[in-house]
Amino acid sequence: MGYQFDFSAVIGNWKLLLIGLQNSIILGATCLVLGLSLGLIVGGMRYMRAPIVNWPATAFVEVFRNTPVLVQIMWFFFAFPIISPVEINAFTAASLGLTLNTAAFSAEIFRAGIRSVEKGQWEAGKAIGMTYIQQLRRIVLPQAIRRMLPAFMNRAVELMKMTSLASVIAYGELMHKAKQISTLEFNPIEMYTVVALIFFALIFPLALFVQRFELKLKDSG
Amino acid sequence: MTEILRLRNLHKSFGPLEVLKGIDLAVAQGEVIVLIGASGSGKSTLLRCINFMEIPTSGRVFLHGTPVGRQTSSGVSYVERELTQIRARIGMVFQHFNLFPHMTALQNVMEGPRTVLKCSPDECRNRADNQLRKVGLEWKADAYPSQLSGGQQQRVAIARALAMEPEIMLFDEVTSALDPELVGEVLITMKELADEGMTMLIVTHELGFAYSVADRVLFLADGNVLEQGSPPEVLTYPKEEATKNFLRGHSSFRLPEPQLD
Repeated sequence: MGYQFDFSAVIGNWKLLLIGLQNSIILGATCLVLGLSLGLIVGGMRYMRAPIVNWPATAFVEVFRNTPVLVQIMWFFFAFPIISPVEINAFTAASLGLTLNTAAFSAEIFRAGIRSVEKGQWEAGKAIGMTYIQQLRRIVLPQAIRRMLPAFMNRAVELMKMTSLASVIAYGELMHKAKQISTLEFNPIEMYTVVALIFFALIFPLALFVQRFELKLKDSG
Repeated sequence: MTEILRLRNLHKSFGPLEVLKGIDLAVAQGEVIVLIGASGSGKSTLLRCINFMEIPTSGRVFLHGTPVGRQTSSGVSYVERELTQIRARIGMVFQHFNLFPHMTALQNVMEGPRTVLKCSPDECRNRADNQLRKVGLEWKADAYPSQLSGGQQQRVAIARALAMEPEIMLFDEVTSALDPELVGEVLITMKELADEGMTMLIVTHELGFAYSVADRVLFLADGNVLEQGSPPEVLTYPKEEATKNFLRGHSSFRLPEPQLD
């Protein structure tokens, strides 16, 4: 193998990569915040028994869990604008796809987390005169969220990886910048290796932290 | 005698299953009532209807002579806010303790005064300290439930209910989940409470405890009060055949008086 590695073009374009990384993080963070918030609402709707709230929430969750994110992003970018009255740029389309996907998964995490708290906990709160909201806020959620945290952190890791899919609709995140650079400089090996390393450096500590945290939870019961 | 609680023709059904079939009961201030009966006889459901953990299907509950809920043409309607206030005035202790695992013993006891009664931090702390001392667990104030024995957990649960300064205390098989050697400490705590004049309704299988603490024993069978009276009347000289059978089952094997000196 006589290939000569040459990282000079990668290093020379560091500003472009930095912008890409920044955009990746902005996209990931936006979708995480929006996705979790929406997920809480959808999870709450899934928790209720009334069909009029339960069914739409269930349909939402199933559609977004059982279709590829790449398809969702492409759909929001290429198909949705045709039927939508508003302009949709690459960031909006990517955000929509990733946010709704994250919401669908985290709705299930919320629902399962709340369900995992024993009925006796609700009852004990009720018996000392707490309202439903007080039972939820003071008794159930503090216990449920502890159990949900590892799952949410895993979602964040997944989401960060999925931001790279936004490159297919030319959103200027890290992967897209890398593609541009490698086309101009003919250095796909160096370029994509570096992109992989950047993602790894960003995500591995997060994943490690999740593992540690899960162990700690297990220890404390 | 001052009447504190009255149940009038109380019915409760779960779907097609009628669990309570018209219970009438008047409870005097400071009275200690023990409910006995086979499982499925409706004892726990009766207790849970008193503080509206379950909503009665029909019939009425009176607290200090005031009916709970509003009579309408289609039955009694209840507003959740009123029920919440009623629950705050009636303490309940459960078979499985149900302490809040993310709070210390002290925080468990402070939770009601804090969140429901909106007491000042000092007042909450005061009440919690007093109640923990009363159940003999002030030295475990900073322990989490997982660090306490079953008997200690149940005593904290009693303190948690008492911190609300309830008018009535309901005990739902509170020693059934405990190892035999831990039952005594909980029963002693309850006995002390009874001696202080607390109005108590107790569902239990501890007939010896019932005999020595109850002012009145009710035998429930199939959703009705089949027999009631003083402990000797019901537990020693039962009249009904069902009561006799129940007591026979409970006293098939007995120790002669153990010599414990």
